[in-house]
Amino acid sequence: MNTAPLVETTDLSFRFGERPVLHGLGLAVPAGSIYGFLGPNGAGKSTTLRLLLGLLRPGSGTVRLFGHELARHRVALLSRVGALIENPSLYDHLTGHENVEATRRLRGLAPARTAAVLAQVGLSAAAHRPVKGYSLGMKQRLGLALALLPDPDLLILDEPTNGLDPAGISDLRLLLRQLREEHGKTILLSSHLIGEVEKVVTHVGVIQQGQLVFQGSLAEMQARQHTRAQLVLETACAATCRRLLPELHEATVAAPGTLRVPFHSREHTAALASALVAAGQPVFGLHCEQPTLEDTFLHLTETTAAQ
Amino acid sequence: MSPAIASSSPALPAVPGPFVQLGRSLTADVLKLRRTPALWLTLASGVLPVLLNFCIFYFKGHLMLKPGADGWVKYASMSWQTAAVLLPLFVVLLTSLVVGVENKAEGWKHLFALPVGRLPVWLSKLLIILGLNALAQVLFVALLLAGGYLLQALRPELRLQQFAPPFHVLGVLLGRTYLATLGIVGVQYVLSKWQSGFVLPVAAGMAGWVAGLTLMRWEHVGWIPYAGPFLTLTTTPFKAVPGLVVPAVAPHEWYQLLWFGAAVVLGYVFLRWRNLA
Repeated sequence: MNTAPLVETTDLSFRFGERPVLHGLGLAVPAGSIYGFLGPNGAGKSTTLRLLLGLLRPGSGTVRLFGHELARHRVALLSRVGALIENPSLYDHLTGHENVEATRRLRGLAPARTAAVLAQVGLSAAAHRPVKGYSLGMKQRLGLALALLPDPDLLILDEPTNGLDPAGISDLRLLLRQLREEHGKTILLSSHLIGEVEKVVTHVGVIQQGQLVFQGSLAEMQARQHTRAQLVLETACAATCRRLLPELHEATVAAPGTLRVPFHSREHTAALASALVAAGQPVFGLHCEQPTLEDTFLHLTETTAAQ
Repeated sequence: MSPAIASSSPALPAVPGPFVQLGRSLTADVLKLRRTPALWLTLASGVLPVLLNFCIFYFKGHLMLKPGADGWVKYASMSWQTAAVLLPLFVVLLTSLVVGVENKAEGWKHLFALPVGRLPVWLSKLLIILGLNALAQVLFVALLLAGGYLLQALRPELRLQQFAPPFHVLGVLLGRTYLATLGIVGVQYVLSKWQSGFVLPVAAGMAGWVAGLTLMRWEHVGWIPYAGPFLTLTTTPFKAVPGLVVPAVAPHEWYQLLWFGAAVVLGYVFLRWRNLA
């Protein structure tokens, strides 16, 4: 696999009037990845994606797609990109088929692509109904069809699960996985809910207040989970144990009989249990609790927000 | 076997020429017109002035025409007068409705995220408006002539059949009136693009229309784009006036071209350099 980033921003900054939105963003989306671009609402995700598509002009910094500078080759580069930005742009008075057809004509693609993408997103049966009668989920799928139309090498999806029901979200995950695994596509998708994308992404970038606070593979993100794992110790009197053993000075008393201690290693856990027993304290329970990926995500975003 | 990963590559895809991009934008924009109020307005707008004047002549024509008077000239000039008053409003509405298709769908961000230059997208919409405006005016003339022939058949006592329809004057008026609406098209196009709501551009257009009609006797009224169609009518007599030379393009029509050019270029410059979403 080519390891050069397919999408790369260098020191990207942007402000709306006087309000700074992005500061020195250095996004790197590896080719062939599904990159989850995560952050709370208002963190700068949509602004970043708009910058990647040339809809906004950066205050400073550069955007490179496929190794080329976007500012210099926008039209050529966008022919390899399919995008869905926030709510899909749909013409309510037209049918689903006509909506896709309008974009197909604009892109100068083969007529057969229209029916193909409608089938891909499961809208063939509703294709000749006016879009004004579509549900939110159907509109979202039609927006996805528009993004898939050019069979793009890079798919940029802004909050693609908006309006989708659980079955729709599951179908979307399946489709994204297929696109990556069977067709080698690179997918950059944003979300404010890590739970919605963690089953499908290979890489993660977390943005908070316009700054990238984490970027790496899902495995690296999971490694962060381990460093934040905690031992939960059930005993008779948590305060007494904490006072008796120097190993427990960094522990927190969660309840009268419960202590929480940062997890270091299995050996440390065993040594702690032995020390408690040696000190005459009962050990009713001892287990390791790992934060979920969502906890890690919240920790990342909350920590940065507090700074 | 793992699929080939689309990766960064020094080879950039070929970019279609600007005319190809414009052609593609036009075919897409034509498709978007289906079932829109803009299309219905274009097809139906010519009916009202013709129908009103047809009814006037059908029921009261015998009272309006002096013996031996050319009924065609009277009928055509009255119909055109109604049309010239309404035409600026029609152009204001048409422009807002065409641009409104994109505004309502939040379609601009989608369009500009596609591999199409901003100029072809900007010009394509403009050409659609210009085309619909032309179609509406040609349909009006066709309806006017059809109404005249119908009057001839239904009310022979009006003696329209004794005169030839004023084809030449209608042709000249059609061309010059079209020119005289271009300033309105330019100004309204830019207004409608930058004000995503429907109300403000239409309100501004109506204010311009009222100003044009109210200030008709002002020596500089020619600079008001919304006065253009009526000024063209007043400077184009249906019957030859001895000593009066009718210019191919009147000064106020040149001003319209200026307004049109300035608005379209300025609009594009903003579009080229402004953030789009």
